[in-house]
Amino acid sequence: MDVVTLIWLYILGLVRWLLKEAPLQVINFVRSLPTLIPELIRWLWDFIWFNFKPLAQIIVIPGLAFILLFAMIVVWFERKFLARAMLRIGPYYCGKRSGWLQVIADFLKLFFKELVIPDDVEKALFLASPILLPTIPALAITLIPFDSNWVLFDAGGLSLPIFLAIAGLAPVVPIFAGWAANNKYTIIGSFRTAYLYVSGEIPLVICAAATALLAGSLDLVDIVEAQRPLWFAVPQFIGFLVFFVGLILEAERTPFDVPTAETELVIGWRTEFSGILFGFTMMAEYVVFLGWTLLFITLYLGGYLGPSLFGVPLYDHIFWMLLKLAVIVVIVVLIRTVYPRLRLDQTLRLGWNYLMPLALLNLFITIILKWGLMI
Amino acid sequence: MTEPEIKPEVMRISWGPQHPMSGQTRILIDVDGEIVRRIIADIGFTHRGIEKILENRTFIQGIVPIERMVMADTANIALGYVQAVEEALGIEVPERAKWIRSLICEMGRINSHLYAFGLQVECTGYFPAVFLWTTVDREVLLDLFEKLTGARWSYSFFIPGGVRADLPEGFRDEVKRAVKYLRRRFQDYWDAMVENPLFEMRNRGVGVLSREDAIRLGATGPVLRGSGVDMDVRRDEPYAAYGDLDFKVITEREGDCLARLKVRFHEIEQSLNIMEQIADEIPGGPVRTKVSLFPRSKPGVEALSRVETARGELGVHIFTDGGMKPYRVKINSPTLRNMYVFERLAELDRVLVADLPVILYSIDPWYLDCDR
Amino acid sequence: MSLLKKLVRPFFIVAPYVARSSQTVKYPDERLVFSERFRGRHRLDLDKCIHCGLCARICPCASIVLVPVEGREGKYPQIDYGTCSLCGLCVDACPRGALTMTDFVEFSAYKRSDLVYSPERLAEVPDIKEVLPMLKRRIRPVLTDKEMKYEVVERL
Repeated sequence: MDVVTLIWLYILGLVRWLLKEAPLQVINFVRSLPTLIPELIRWLWDFIWFNFKPLAQIIVIPGLAFILLFAMIVVWFERKFLARAMLRIGPYYCGKRSGWLQVIADFLKLFFKELVIPDDVEKALFLASPILLPTIPALAITLIPFDSNWVLFDAGGLSLPIFLAIAGLAPVVPIFAGWAANNKYTIIGSFRTAYLYVSGEIPLVICAAATALLAGSLDLVDIVEAQRPLWFAVPQFIGFLVFFVGLILEAERTPFDVPTAETELVIGWRTEFSGILFGFTMMAEYVVFLGWTLLFITLYLGGYLGPSLFGVPLYDHIFWMLLKLAVIVVIVVLIRTVYPRLRLDQTLRLGWNYLMPLALLNLFITIILKWGLMI
Repeated sequence: MTEPEIKPEVMRISWGPQHPMSGQTRILIDVDGEIVRRIIADIGFTHRGIEKILENRTFIQGIVPIERMVMADTANIALGYVQAVEEALGIEVPERAKWIRSLICEMGRINSHLYAFGLQVECTGYFPAVFLWTTVDREVLLDLFEKLTGARWSYSFFIPGGVRADLPEGFRDEVKRAVKYLRRRFQDYWDAMVENPLFEMRNRGVGVLSREDAIRLGATGPVLRGSGVDMDVRRDEPYAAYGDLDFKVITEREGDCLARLKVRFHEIEQSLNIMEQIADEIPGGPVRTKVSLFPRSKPGVEALSRVETARGELGVHIFTDGGMKPYRVKINSPTLRNMYVFERLAELDRVLVADLPVILYSIDPWYLDCDR
Repeated sequence: MSLLKKLVRPFFIVAPYVARSSQTVKYPDERLVFSERFRGRHRLDLDKCIHCGLCARICPCASIVLVPVEGREGKYPQIDYGTCSLCGLCVDACPRGALTMTDFVEFSAYKRSDLVYSPERLAEVPDIKEVLPMLKRRIRPVLTDKEMKYEVVERL
């Protein structure tokens, strides 16, 4: 028997199956449908009902919808606020004279633009970096407690170090992006990002360690609970200020936005991206800002705790977290309105010469306070 | 242009015309890490041949192209040309016309300095706040121009023999009101911008030009006065009504970007004082001597006129040959000389790449009058 | 002033601006009222013109050419707004005052040849509402002590 004969036999067998037995199978399947579909639906419903909370956390808050909405609202607010400070109007026609649809329109425009990928870039890194950029800080956001029982990822008592570890990954991606784009301007931009991140991260980590010391635990929920009598902003005032300045530094907002929005080097490491890749890099800026602000609120401003009026604690709810977030966002946008941009060496000098000794001082004060309280 | 050779240890960046902050020019910088070793200014992108155009226009027609040389400060340049034409043709100008010319020149100076602030502040990353305030305040001045001359920046208002029209009704009160408003705004600028510690950090000690270097390299305008040299054409060779007006020439000693900014600031203050003086004391009389629309010159006459524009000293030199059009008009522009100073700054002082736009805009270049 | 005061002072200066009225003219819902000397589009009075040609001779941009008009004797000026610089020297030169300037600045056209305005077209200046049907207000800037506001002069 040779191969051609075998193939013919196989085909004949297939035809016989198709004509004789396949119709029977189809009829059996169709007969069983009325019982199959409700079973499927019931299985789906059980799945959602059982896992409702994590699903809501992933999709709504503090997950996808929250981050996207935050980015959109902050972009709109910043544009309008800056415009009013400049005696202009800001977005006006899109969305009934307040321009709230403008952000969505801009996002759609970026989505439909052509992706221009130059010939001599590293394609894999070039396409992967903008996608990694917002996702890494979003991973860190999953660790923040929004209410006493509303944490997306239960890290077993170690959420603060894991947050800082994930945040330490964040500066690596712009370096990849700048290098992959194969352009003089982007390389310089990504080097500057690296300098900035390193000089900003260390004071932040030391301040976070001081709060963990005061609370006596490395878990973010415990740190929030330990602020019930008094928010940590008061005993650790120096750390509060250092962390605030460091937050603006890490999120690369004016007055420290040396790597991006450069008037000297086009736009730093974002230069070669176009279309939706650029949209991701823009969004990443706001996601990083959101991540660090949430950590700031959790460590220093009491997280989801409501304020205590004359010793009587108010009901704590996610709403307080969002309110504090709004206040911090307004202050940061106001700072952007008022100050010019510092040069790179001035920013680095600020980070190393001023922020780090102050953070260490804060740590010592905390040690002394804790020791004093224990004794 | 044939570029000089690149040494192997430096990186040559073309801060070129396709750049958000370069203006209409290309500047090649040789960068070694963060320090700029050499600056090569590649100007000429906006050359339109204004001097040749003026050879093909009669003396009265020439007031229109000459304004297109500079856009923020058209009054002073037009005055330079018109004064040179008057000297070449031997035309007398009445007193009231001279005072009106000074008024418009001072308003143009404020206009140009405000625009220069806006750019200088924008390049330090200061997009919100002060940058657009300057544009808004220029609107006040542009409205005044519109009421007086009929156009906002290309007024074509000076004509050999005087000015084209008299002040309208109620204009002097409007000038006084605008002066009061602008004085208040400048207090705001001073507090929010110049006294801002971060802004000072960007501008202090940056791009220092010493007094000897400024004189040796031929700087002019606020660049020269910011380095401590006391020269101003309005006081040294008074033209228009400046001989009768009372104003101070501002100098600062340090020679860095902050000093030049302060010179411009105080010059605006002095200009506001001059505007008020003119609005109070302007003499009456005609505003124009009757001159034919197509005057014919005598052959072989040379006339030179120097004016102090916002950017520095400008000279217009006219040669006539007996026809209705000038034979040659040579314009000596302030920005060209200041760009030369800018090129040499990389050798004189330690310039970082991040300081480059700050220094460039503190010299206040206007490439249109650099290239003519 | 100490460093801390200098750092904080810009906030108090910039923050009140958020509450002030914006300086934007929301064209084409609004349009400014210009002064009476404003140099916009020309208006030609066909009865006053004496065909002297001084406007064509003095124009620095060579935009004016004298062309015949049907039904009338003599040649009248035709202005090419593609090259006109709106300097107004032709208005000064006209000995009878036949050429004046209006405050009309909406010149847009689809073809460059549409920018050449014949004498008949120069003689009739359309109403602003025909060119901008969406116009609602005419505004004028008013300078108070603290700010410059736009006040409504006319509602259409």
